[in-house]
Amino acid sequence: MSQTNRLSSGGLIDRRKPLSFQYNGKQYQGYEGDTLASALLANGVDIIGRSFKYSRPRGIVAAGAEEPNAVMQIGASEATQIPNVRATQQALYEGLVSSATNGWPNVDFDVMSYVGKIGGKMMPPGFYYKTFMWPQTMWPTYEKYIRKAAGLGRSSTMKDPDQYDTLNHHCDVMIVGAGPTGLAAARAAAATGARVIIADEQEMFGGSLLSSRELINGKPAIDWVRTVVDELSANPDVVMLPRSTVNGYHDHNFVTIHERRADHIGDRAPVGMTRQRMHRVRAHWVVLATGAQERPLVFAHNDVPGVMLASAVTTYIERFGVVPGNELVLMTSNDDAYLTALSWASTGRKVVAVVDSRAKADGDLVKQVIDKGIRVIFGSAVYDVDGGTRVKAARISGLTADGKKLTGKSETLSCDTIASSGGWSPVVHLSCHTGSRPVWDDNIIGFVPGETQQKQLIAGGIRGHYDLLDCLTEGMNCGYVAAERSGYGPVGKRPEYKVARIRRSPAMPLFLVPHLKPISQAPKQFVDLQNDVTSAGIELATREGFESIEHVKRYTAMGFGTDQGKLGNINGMAITAQVLGKSIAETGTTVFRPNYTPITFGAIAGRNCGELFDAKRYSAMQPWHEENGALFEDVGQWKRPWYFPKSGETMQQSLNREVLAVRNSVGILDASTLGKIDIQGKDAREFLARVYTNAWAKLGVGKCRYGLMCKEDGMVFDDGVTSCLAENHFLMTTTTGGAARVLEWLELYHQTEWPELEVYMTSVTDHWATMTISGPNSRKLLAQLTDDIDLDKDTFKFMDWRPGTVAGVPARVFRISFTGELSYEINVSANHGLQVWKKLMEVGKQYDITPYGTETMHVLRAEKGFIIVGQDTDSTLTPYDLGMGWAVAPTKPFSFIGKRGMAREDAVKPNRKQLVGLMAKKPDVVIPEGSQAVANPNQPIPMTMLGHITSSYYSATLGRSIAMGLIRGGLDRMGETVYYPQADGSVIEAEICSPVFYDPKGDRQNV
Amino acid sequence: MSEVLEPKKASAAGTVASAEPVYALMDQRPADMSNAESPLSRFRWQVSSSGKNVGVVARELALLGHFILRGNVANADFVKGAAEVLGVELPGTLKSNAKGNLVVRWLAPDEWLITVPGEQAFAIESNLRKRLTGHYSLVNVSGGQTLLVLSGADAVNVLRKSCHYDVHDRNFPVGKVVGTTFAKAQCVIRRAGQQEWELVIRRSFADYLAAWIQDAAQEYGFAVK
Repeated sequence: MSQTNRLSSGGLIDRRKPLSFQYNGKQYQGYEGDTLASALLANGVDIIGRSFKYSRPRGIVAAGAEEPNAVMQIGASEATQIPNVRATQQALYEGLVSSATNGWPNVDFDVMSYVGKIGGKMMPPGFYYKTFMWPQTMWPTYEKYIRKAAGLGRSSTMKDPDQYDTLNHHCDVMIVGAGPTGLAAARAAAATGARVIIADEQEMFGGSLLSSRELINGKPAIDWVRTVVDELSANPDVVMLPRSTVNGYHDHNFVTIHERRADHIGDRAPVGMTRQRMHRVRAHWVVLATGAQERPLVFAHNDVPGVMLASAVTTYIERFGVVPGNELVLMTSNDDAYLTALSWASTGRKVVAVVDSRAKADGDLVKQVIDKGIRVIFGSAVYDVDGGTRVKAARISGLTADGKKLTGKSETLSCDTIASSGGWSPVVHLSCHTGSRPVWDDNIIGFVPGETQQKQLIAGGIRGHYDLLDCLTEGMNCGYVAAERSGYGPVGKRPEYKVARIRRSPAMPLFLVPHLKPISQAPKQFVDLQNDVTSAGIELATREGFESIEHVKRYTAMGFGTDQGKLGNINGMAITAQVLGKSIAETGTTVFRPNYTPITFGAIAGRNCGELFDAKRYSAMQPWHEENGALFEDVGQWKRPWYFPKSGETMQQSLNREVLAVRNSVGILDASTLGKIDIQGKDAREFLARVYTNAWAKLGVGKCRYGLMCKEDGMVFDDGVTSCLAENHFLMTTTTGGAARVLEWLELYHQTEWPELEVYMTSVTDHWATMTISGPNSRKLLAQLTDDIDLDKDTFKFMDWRPGTVAGVPARVFRISFTGELSYEINVSANHGLQVWKKLMEVGKQYDITPYGTETMHVLRAEKGFIIVGQDTDSTLTPYDLGMGWAVAPTKPFSFIGKRGMAREDAVKPNRKQLVGLMAKKPDVVIPEGSQAVANPNQPIPMTMLGHITSSYYSATLGRSIAMGLIRGGLDRMGETVYYPQADGSVIEAEICSPVFYDPKGDRQNV
Repeated sequence: MSEVLEPKKASAAGTVASAEPVYALMDQRPADMSNAESPLSRFRWQVSSSGKNVGVVARELALLGHFILRGNVANADFVKGAAEVLGVELPGTLKSNAKGNLVVRWLAPDEWLITVPGEQAFAIESNLRKRLTGHYSLVNVSGGQTLLVLSGADAVNVLRKSCHYDVHDRNFPVGKVVGTTFAKAQCVIRRAGQQEWELVIRRSFADYLAAWIQDAAQEYGFAVK
């Protein structure tokens, strides 16, 4: 098909650059500068989808973001699929592949049309709530088919080959919209030296001027646009963002902008270029110059393809050189739409008539139309449309002065296009995002932004001011004001704008054109085309008692989805007001939420995907772990070696080997991830005594001590060993996951509760590489690597630390143990961690030194009954509940955090859950962690639960399974039997015992 | 003058008989540095193919001495003592002072980061310990972090992709120091020159941040020195 509707000249397209594209499997041709919508119209494509609920054929209505019907699936391959793209916002490129998202299996014949034809009765408003709510279990099934049938687009099932990213900005003046108002504002603000960002959703700057025939300073408006764009481009402090939709306006003037950088270039972004970019702008002042969108009039069958917005028709003619039909009937309640008649007539095609709802009008544009000999029918309206897949005729009738009733005789005007205009609705969406509610203004017959807490200025169309000179002047003034309030200017000489004013006669407030029949019996009069909401639906909603506009919205789905009520909402509110007998101001409006138009997930995710999804933290020994086949476990953001399987081993076999190596010879663990906090100051010791539950007054230099930390409620929240490095100097260790939390906790208490204590804390987690050698041969191994640390068991005792040199590197060595074996924890500057580790492995070969990971560590510590905070505890356990009352010193002179909490009545009551050991009666059965204990497994469900298993392993040392868990009153129930019912119906029987399964006296760590 | 615990060969900590040791002090840098590994020494950089314009250049300043100094600016002798030893004043809010290879960055109202050439680290630490008075703390964090310098015309754009802070000339002049979020980690950024930005990166986050930075820099052309 050739471009039957394309004019031979005019518009901002480049006829020397034809572009071929595909729509619903057919090839078409357009030109550079086209949108997909203008190219489809040029080719005479009438139907671009089926409607959501009734599956009626639909055509292109608008030329911008407000387009409700032409919602497309774009993408030449599976990987590059993008759903829900408005054809009016998609620039045409060579090879573009598109299809209608609505209409399954295709737009010309589809299943839903049968449902839709019976339609009105089968799917009244509230249909989804009434029909699909029950039974709830069926909803996923309903949803699957509704989504498919309704055509909400689909995302790719493959990885997106393109990249998306984010850029942060700060500016003095953020200008939204680059029409005449926005450009004048940007020019003014930039002239002061302020930092300016101006963004516009269209392919090029200019807004309404791109399809205007007006003159600015005696020259075509487009020339002025080009001059200003050149001027701004030359200013390094101005950022210009075309193809960039300001989609969110958030508190504190934080603005999110979605830039389509490569969507106009091709199916895939060029190499080295991100496809889309999110701009995150923090602005001192925001100028909203978002303009206005034309409001269609609501009349029967106003959804037949060929019914369009008047201004959209003008845009297609003036900017794209496309006349979307042959014979036009124009229906209007204001002067502006007369421009459309002038444009249409200038192409040589026929304007059948202008039907004006007003009794008379004598504005400049009206006169021009009448002077051209075009038939103008005042005091009348189009109330119905003939035609199915394309307009065939408009039915018109006289209208009463208040617009409520038809009068006189009907007339049928044969035509293929009906352009309608009910006036303009300021684009207040963004102003609503920050919580401001729009207010109705009778003078401009529209909602304008209400009061705001933001540093926000509004100018031009968004205020209902549409005269070009007003727009330029207001924009300029706002630009200066915003800049001056940001600390720039004032400037001496301001530019002057000379524009001939167009005299306009007053517009008439008209929203719904009455039919011969009452609303409920009239043919469908569509209010929201995307969601298939009709005036009858709104009337029904109010009749069923949904009178608040918010309820009407939810009941009818008006303004839902990707549309966000751009075209239909104001009409819907006006109709609601009319049927309720209220004014529009009384009825009010719903508010609009971000995002203004849909954003791809890619743009939201940016570079935070794949390998960069989250920070991965590594210790200095990571290269060795990787080279030696470690499997890794996530602990917070850390990657910790989990275990080191040898080829052919199962996980359990690896664990058994690693456990026995530690018990019988020597193992080595990378413990670098433990949180480490350097504490200095003369009150450091006192500070420790207040944050730990035990005593610190007498810990000597060179000594280490284990401590529990509680929150105010007396519940354990972290534990670790703290060492006295010197009289006023301590090194605290925390759990790996708790490191940041504990440091913040200490700073909080120091800064807010005890600022008088002279103590400073500094994180040294990353500074020290920590390796633990554990096992009976660890002393012999260490002795071979140090000549300046006396390792004699009577001078360097368990819970001592010594400075010295290990493998030629200065080190601090701590004799502490989490395995119950003789252990040394060697700390060196992390710059030397890998070299010392390698040396230990090399020299340790003679002892068959075995690296082990976190899982083996867990088994080893469980054999000894050592807790892991966060696994065996869950913020509901006091030290006493853990059987660790020995770590509490209630007689300390100053109180400590948690002292009062753990003495509360509830915290000391009998029968609290307490940590105990559990041995399955069958030694080869490992009770699953999380299993719930019951006293009698035969009791009816729900059973009374006594506690759960917190840690459970197979212990190679003991040759049987072991577990730790909580049991009500467990510490007093040693030897009793409890039962763990499993999901498969089996029951595991276990005996309550001490959690210390191995070497209860601790001889092995003290050797 | 505060007293320090000097490491004495084969002596157990805390058993130094002379004066009461108050702070532990240890030269943590071995004489043989040949096996030392900085946080980014093994990172596998992916640079742009040759011939392409280079907008961003990364360079690690490896194996420096890093110290966190905390103290009270109301203590005039502490402030004076620090200046005497360092040769520069402790900088005020969001500022840095540099003398040769020694740079002092303000981190918080009572906290500074001092970086010095590695071989001078222990001498400066010892001298500070000898000279400083009152309540303060000095912590060697040399193993825990590194400096990565981004330079080139587009280095600023890499920062804008990575952190929310305003890096425009008017808000971030040469010499300014800011601690901020960077991608999903944190770093301290110092503007060392008109087109030179010096990032303090924590060791455990170094791989992630390097990967992030080279990814962000690819479109501008990326090289490593």
